[in-house]
Formats: sequence, C-alpha cells, structure tokens
Amino acid sequence: MGDANKRRDVYKSNYITKLGEREVSRNLKALVWLSSLLVVTGAIALIVVAIVLDDNHPLSTLSPVGRQGRDIAALINPIFIVAGVIFFLVQGAVLALWWRYRVSGSESGDGEFGYYEDGEFPEQIHGNNRVEIGWTLVPTVLLAVISVFTLITLFALDDVEASDEDMVVTVVGQQWWWEYQYHLDGNTSTPPDIVTANELVIPVGVDVPLDIKSRDVIHSFWIPKLNGKRDAVPGRAHDWVIQSEETGRFRGQCTEFCGLAHGYMKMVAVVLTKQEFAQWRDNQITSADMPQEGTAAHEGWQVFSQQCASCHVVNGITSATNRGGSGTEADTWDIYRELSGNDAGAYLSQDTLVAGAAPNLTHLMTRSTFAGSWYDLYLNADSHLNYLDLPENGILNRVELEKWIHNAPERKPAAADELRGMPARSSLSPQDIDNLVAFMSTLD
Amino acid sequence: MSTTQGTISASLATRLLGVFSRPQGSEGWKSWLFTVDHKRIGIMYGAAALFFFLVGGAEALFIRLQLATPNGSVIGAGTYNGVFTIHGVTMVFLVVMPMAAAFANYLLPLQIGARDVAFPRLNAFSFWCFLAGGVLLTSSIFIGGWFQNVPDAGWFNYAPNSGVLFSPHKGVDFYAVGLQITGIASLVSAVNLIVTVLNMRAKGMSLFRMPVLTWMLLITQFLLLFALPVITVALFLLMFDRLWESNFFNVAAGADPLLWQHLFWIFGHPEVYILILPAFGIVSEIIPTFSRKPIFGYHFMVASGIAIGFMGWGVWAHHMFTSGMGPLSVAAFAVSTMFIAVPTGVKILNWLATMYRGRLRFTTPMLYAVGVVSMFTIGGLSGVTHAIAPSDTQQTDTYYIVAHFHYVIFGGALLGLFGGFHFWWPKAFGYKLNELWGKASFWVMLIGFNFTFGPMHILGLQGMSRRIATYQASEGFAFWNMVATIGSFVIAVGVAMFLWNVFSSTRNWRRVGRPSVGPDPWDARGLEWMTASPAPEHNFDSDIQVDRFDEFWHRKYGRDEKGKIVRAARAEEIAHDGSNTNVHLPSPSYWPLVLGVGIMLVGYGLIFNLWIAALGVVALVGAIYGWCLEPADDPDTAHGHDHAGRNSLEDEEAITVG
Repeated sequence: MGDANKRRDVYKSNYITKLGEREVSRNLKALVWLSSLLVVTGAIALIVVAIVLDDNHPLSTLSPVGRQGRDIAALINPIFIVAGVIFFLVQGAVLALWWRYRVSGSESGDGEFGYYEDGEFPEQIHGNNRVEIGWTLVPTVLLAVISVFTLITLFALDDVEASDEDMVVTVVGQQWWWEYQYHLDGNTSTPPDIVTANELVIPVGVDVPLDIKSRDVIHSFWIPKLNGKRDAVPGRAHDWVIQSEETGRFRGQCTEFCGLAHGYMKMVAVVLTKQEFAQWRDNQITSADMPQEGTAAHEGWQVFSQQCASCHVVNGITSATNRGGSGTEADTWDIYRELSGNDAGAYLSQDTLVAGAAPNLTHLMTRSTFAGSWYDLYLNADSHLNYLDLPENGILNRVELEKWIHNAPERKPAAADELRGMPARSSLSPQDIDNLVAFMSTLD
Repeated sequence: MSTTQGTISASLATRLLGVFSRPQGSEGWKSWLFTVDHKRIGIMYGAAALFFFLVGGAEALFIRLQLATPNGSVIGAGTYNGVFTIHGVTMVFLVVMPMAAAFANYLLPLQIGARDVAFPRLNAFSFWCFLAGGVLLTSSIFIGGWFQNVPDAGWFNYAPNSGVLFSPHKGVDFYAVGLQITGIASLVSAVNLIVTVLNMRAKGMSLFRMPVLTWMLLITQFLLLFALPVITVALFLLMFDRLWESNFFNVAAGADPLLWQHLFWIFGHPEVYILILPAFGIVSEIIPTFSRKPIFGYHFMVASGIAIGFMGWGVWAHHMFTSGMGPLSVAAFAVSTMFIAVPTGVKILNWLATMYRGRLRFTTPMLYAVGVVSMFTIGGLSGVTHAIAPSDTQQTDTYYIVAHFHYVIFGGALLGLFGGFHFWWPKAFGYKLNELWGKASFWVMLIGFNFTFGPMHILGLQGMSRRIATYQASEGFAFWNMVATIGSFVIAVGVAMFLWNVFSSTRNWRRVGRPSVGPDPWDARGLEWMTASPAPEHNFDSDIQVDRFDEFWHRKYGRDEKGKIVRAARAEEIAHDGSNTNVHLPSPSYWPLVLGVGIMLVGYGLIFNLWIAALGVVALVGAIYGWCLEPADDPDTAHGHDHAGRNSLEDEEAITVG
C-alpha cells in the first residue's frame, strides 16, 4: 500500500523535475511558431509559383481558352479572392487569439495530477445577440450577392451562339474511349456524316452543340480549357456546348468513375481554323479504298477482316459479314443506327457488343492519338506540326502501335474477357502485325 | 390466460436450458462480450473505430504510393479501384461514424446525468451489429484472394457501373450487404440515444441546459434516423439487382441511373453532417474548458446546429450538378447549398468569440479543437466555391473535391474526435495521455495533413481527376502528387506517435500503481466530470439536480461580494466518488452478441450461399427469443461495480419482454 504511494510520489516528483523539460518545450514552442510561419509562407509562395507556371498543365482549369470556360473563370476568380480574404481573416484571428490570450506553460499546470490552478478568471461572457445577428446577416448578404452572379452565369452557359455551322456532334462514352458522330446538318435523328474516335475536331470560335450519351456506364465529358464537364448517362441524352477562342489541341479526361480503366480514358479537342476544319471534314466524309492486291496492305486487310473487323468498322471496306451477321452487304451506317440511335436503346448490353462498338478506323491516321488518347500515334505530334499534315509528315509511333495490336490489355487495363476493352491478339505473327500496320497506314 | 401459460412455458424453458440465466460479473474478457454498460460499449466502439482507422489509413498509403509518380505501377488499376473504394467506405462508415458513436455512447448518459441509455441491451446490439458489418466489409479485402472481391465501384457506387455486368465479382455485394448491416446498427443506436436524451435527463436539465455536445449528438441521431432508411432502400434495390436479377438500375430495361444518385445523396449529404456535427460538439466542449469561459452564444450554437440539421436535407443534388438534371434544379440546389455555409460560419465565429479574452491553455485537446476551427474553415470555404454551380462543373470529380472533403472530414471530424480522445481519456480510463507526446503527435499530424491535402486543391484546379489509377508525366501533376504522398506518410508517423502515446501512457500509469487522475483533471464544465474517473459502472452515486447550464462548473465556482469569481468547492468535494454500491443496474446479456453474429451469418449467406444465411436466421431468431425470454435481474439485489451476487434460477418468475 505504502509502496504504491511511494511510487506515486516518485512519479509526481519525476514530473516536477520535468520543469526543465518545460523550458525546453517553451523554446520548442518558439521554434514551432517560427517554423510554422515559415511553412505557411513557403506554401503560399509555392502555390503562387505553381499558378504562374500553369503553362505546363494541359488540363488546367485556371487558364481557359473557351468562351464558357472563361465565363466560369470570370465568375469564380473574384470568389476565390473573397474566400482567400476570409481565409486570412479567420486564420489570422486564430493566431492572434492564440498569441494574445494564451497562458504560458508553467501557469497552465499541465501536470498528470491535480491539474487546475485557482488563477484569475476572465470575464464570463455568455454571448451577445447583436453580434450573433450581425455575423449571421453579413455572410447571408454576401452569399446572396454571389448567388445572383452564379445564377446569371448558370443560365448564360446554356446559350448557344448562332453561327454559320449547323453541326451537332453526338458524343458517346464507352468503356474506355469516346466516339464522336458528326451531324453536319444538325439533325441528330439521321445517320451521322462522320464517325470518329477520341479526338473531337471543331472549328475555332464556333459554339458546337454536343449531344452527350453513353453506351454502358456513366462517363463525363470534360475538356477543362474549354468548358466544364457534363455526364454521359446511359439512356439519357445531355445537351452541352463547346467552343474555343484559340486553335490548338486541348486535352480532356473522363471524369466520372467508369470502371477499370477510368484513368486511361482520355480525349482531345482539336481546334482548327474554319478553313482547316472544312478541309478535315471533307476528307472525313470519304470512305476508305480497298488496298491493291499483292501489297502488304492487302495482306494486312486479310488479317484485319478476320481479327479486327468484328468490332472495328472501316467505312467502305468492312461489311456485315465481318460481324457474323447474315452475310448480306449492309450499309455501315445501319450498324450505327442499330447501336446508337437517339432513343434509350443506345444502351449496349453485353449481347450487342458487336461491330461498331469499337472505334471507327476509317481515318485512323488523321488522329494524333490512339487507345483512348492514352498513347500518341505520332512521335512528333506535340511539335508545331499542323494537325492536317500528320498522316504525311508525322513519325508513326510504330513500336507502341504494334504492342497495342499484339496485346492491348497489357498496354492499358481492360476487361477484355468480359468484352470490355480490346482483347489481346497474341496469336498474330510479327509478319501479320507488320501487314496490319501497313493496312492501317492507308487509312488517312 | 395465455400470458400465464406463456410465463409457465417460458419458465419451463428456462429451467431446461441454463443459458436463459444471465451472465454475471464485470471482470475479464467475457464481461466485455456480454456487457450492456454504455461506457464499455463506448470504449469498444472507440477501439473498433481506431482499428478500422489503421486499416483505412493503410489503404490510403497504398493510394498515395500508386499516385506518387506518373505511370505508377505499385498496384494495378483494378486493385487501385478496390483500394480507394474500400478506403472511402471504411473511413466513413467504420471510422468516423463509430468513433462519434463511441463518444455518444460514453458521454451522452453522463452529460445528462443518467445511469445508462434507455435500452442497454439494444445498445450492445448496436455495437455488435456494427462490428458484424465492419468485419464483413473488411473481410472483402482478403476473401477469395487479396483485393479479388473488394467493392470497386467507389463509395458512391453509381449505377450502372455497380451492376453485375460491369462489376461481376462479389465486391459490390459486400458493399450492399455490409452497409445494410452497419445501417441497422446506426438506426437502432439513433432511436436508443434519442429516447435517452428525451426521457432520461437529470432533474432540472431542460433541453436548453444540455451541453452543446449532447445537442449535436441528438441532432446527429435525428439525421441518422431519417437518412439511413433512404440509403437502406437504395442498398436493398441494389442487392436485389445483383443477387436476384431485378431491374431497378438496369438501363437496358428502362431504368434511369439517376435514381441511384438521388437516393444515395439524399442520404449522402445529411451523412456529411452526421460525420461533422459530433466533432463540432466536442470542439464546443473543449474550447470553453481551456478558455475558462462559457461557450459564446450557447443558443446560437444550438440553433445553428439545428439549422444545419434541417438545411442538410435540401442540398443533396449539389453532388449532381453535372449529372444533367437540368438548369432549374441546379439553380435551386446551388442557392440552398450556398446558404448552408451561414450556420457553419456562425459556429466558427462563436468558437473564436469563446476564445476571445479567455485564458487559453493549449493542452493537447485544445490544440486539436483549434486545429478543427482552422482546418474546417478551409474546407468550408472550398465548399462554398462548389456551390457556385458553373464553377463546380470544372471542379467536381477532381482533386479539388478530394481536398475539400478531407479538410472537412479529416481536418474537421477526425481532428475533433482525436481531440475528444485526449480530452475524455482521463474520464474513461483514470489517467491522462502524455501531453508532450500528445502535442507532438498533433503537430506532426497537422503538418502531414496539410502537406497531403493542401496540394490537392492545386492538383484539382490543374485538372487532375479523381479516381484515376495513374496519370501521364506530360500532365504536370507529378510534383504535387509527390508532396502529397510524402505528407501522407507524415500523417502516418503522427498516428503512430498517438498510438505510442496511448501505449506508453498506459504502461507508465500501470507502473506507478494505477492512481486515478481525479474526477475533474481539466477543470471542466460538464456533468460527466462530476463523478469519479474512470466513471463507475453506475455513473453517479445519486440523482443530480440541475439548476443551470454548466451546472458542474457553477458548483465549483461562485462570486464573492465584489463579483469576483472564486472557488466555492474543489471538484473532489462535489464529485461522486462512485462508492455507492447499492444501485440497480441492468444485467449483462448474451443475446445482443448472438443476434449480431446471426446477422453477420445472414450477410455472408446472402453473398455466398443461402444455407449459411439459413444458419444465420436460426441464430437470429434464437437470439430474439433468448432476448425476450431471459430473466430480468433480481430487482432487490444491488449491481454496483463490486456486485458479486449471482442470478439464481429462482429469479425467472420475473421474466420481462423487451
């Protein structure tokens, strides 16, 4: 019994001899104050640097070039500033109160036993109704003002400025790539004039209405430099609009979690001058030609028709036979009508995953990326090479393309055994793959 | 007539089966399994939540490792999806909610001067049911191989990606079943605690004399009561879709996937306040104590909590601004979301006003509480920027959101709960955690936290999407991701320091013969400090008459003739010493545990094999019968902490149901 008491006394006195430790902790405190100030200042400096160096961020929302993106930035930037001011006021108040009203270590008596001291009490203020009402009203008014501007911008974003282009693009998300169906006359109930994948090509300065859909799960279409995002929901068609004040290539990313390869589902918006766009459009409308017999490309076509054409369409060459159908020659567009009409039937179940459910490859070589824009199709695409000159002057990223054909699930996650994503073609010989690439190189 | 018969047959059953007597004693590990004591249940909630916190934290570190560099290959895309899903589910449902339940269970009866909760056996059942759900969910990590059957459709689990077609393994089944089970636990607990607060307050403790923490917990229970049925409906539909091929979310059969989103977020947004309000309550207890001032604007604090509780129901669709629900809906929810910032702001300002002209003692709990004020403000401000719907179309599903809700849930809820651990640790265990280690762990955690989640604001604005398993070097996300990863390991060090503090403080205390720290080690204000530490099994030796808010503080301090505050009595003189052994307490019971196990078996059975479920149903029904038929304890025997009396079989005449 007495033993325990003794031990307790030792423990207590040990604690008291820790007074020296308190001196240390006071120095420590000064150190902590100083270093935390340094840390905070440093962090803010770094943030400023980060924003200044924003050029290196192709997906940045901070430097929009689209009309809608700029409207959003014009709305949010002043609010960021207001929020920043409130941030500094509150954090400043916390630090000031801390500094001004803290009780020093020895006075606070933070012992293990008998904690409190009978020191002075501050005035026991229970509250102040006027102050409370004041700081309820001030933020209310501030937020009311903000909501007015929010609503104005919100409804303005739905406007589509009229232009000489009637074009509407149906954007279809699918695990894990994007398809674009161009309706040049603006009528989405007729078959599209152009079907392409991953790269949405639009003319500069024109509001292009989008009609966003999905074939399987929810995706979200987002080109941060041009506009905010809009979900692609199966069974629904969502209106959206995209516009760019500048030409260039702007990267995007699917931003609704859509399963295994969600992070690898990217896209690009390519903004061309109106002339270039017309040139691009006129080329895209054309069908591909069958390669001449005896050439490597023709050999490649043979492989393609057996290995690839059950999913990939090349306008003018692939036919219904390739998708295990009845064997009658069918208009390529029938497939699209079947699979991605404007009704809720656009939804693809596992059973209907047949030709047309993989990217249309008719003009593969005119695109700068492949595999859901995860890989570059041309090694020099990022230099100042004109987009329309890619098939001619681009250096084909042959190594990656061949690897992709040989074993796609190894190059980008896919659930190919569940018919989601491109299955491996490991049985293909190097010769087959060479021939395939030769065939694909004709698709410009 | 039939009642008599029932009693006779029941007593016959009792004679035949010895198990219908009730377990005895309050020592040893078995007594923890069968306890109905709200304090022990609270401690078990806390321990379980801390365990799951380590699990969820480990998952977070894997996420950060994978994202540390571009083209990360630490874990594959499939595993990554599972890890971030189970991280979210774990942290929300198995860490923050039960940690808050730990404080609710331990403190609510003490703060209102009650002996226990209204339904002690139901309370025990809540815990075992929660643990059953937690074990089931966590076991998905390794059942059938590591991360082979883990939920992988995100904690938000949007249809149709959560359907069998797109997530064919059993992960989402675990999610649907496990969350229904933890939902039962929370729902039962909510009813129990609401009845406790409304019916069992000490004499004179009117609603507006209750501590702010009690108020916030009460509001939280009401939110749970109304929010959980909504998610339960959604999970129920999902379960039928997955297990029995119904078509609630099957788009091919005409379903609209937005149904899931609405159901999920009608629950999901109040859930945010379910997570944060308990921490607000804790902060509202800590700051006055260490400012030596009463809480500033008590009525406004309570009213703003109630306002948050109501407004929280009208903002759910701000999670769906880009879902295509139409500009009018977006406009309405943008405005409602904006104004929910007002009551939250009122709270922040009231805490600052409480500190104003106080005598601030920066103990570990105070550091955590002020940390909440500071960090939650950041989360609140970024929250307002999300309410700007057009801007949200840029920010949503980016790391800006990840930053935002970690500032709210980690910087707000978790820091508050950790502050609560340090503050009430002496009350629960009779000794304090070491202050030096406590402060050090706080600073390490705070710095790590800011280095982890601060940069995510920048990453989000630079366009980094959430839930992506990796990114490309050319996207320019590498630097801040590396900073965040380093920060996450600093947090891990801080957590390890906290655990070491728990371990070493306990060891030191045991070495010196387990002295009690005394009833009121912090010079605090609430009734929970008016009894011995650790709180005796029966809480208070006698009923307490409450005459004002902060009753305990007013008993300690009075004013002299000059109006100066002087000590009227020392805490030891007022506090109950727990010596009254003549208090009747409910006896322990086997059945809450059995019922929990039964539900867990039903859960596994639904996922794997209905025969297991049948076994579970047997246990479940048996437990309910046992629950109803087991004898009430002998009302004439005392059941204080040293009660050694045993229940004889002769007691069973007093069978009660319920």
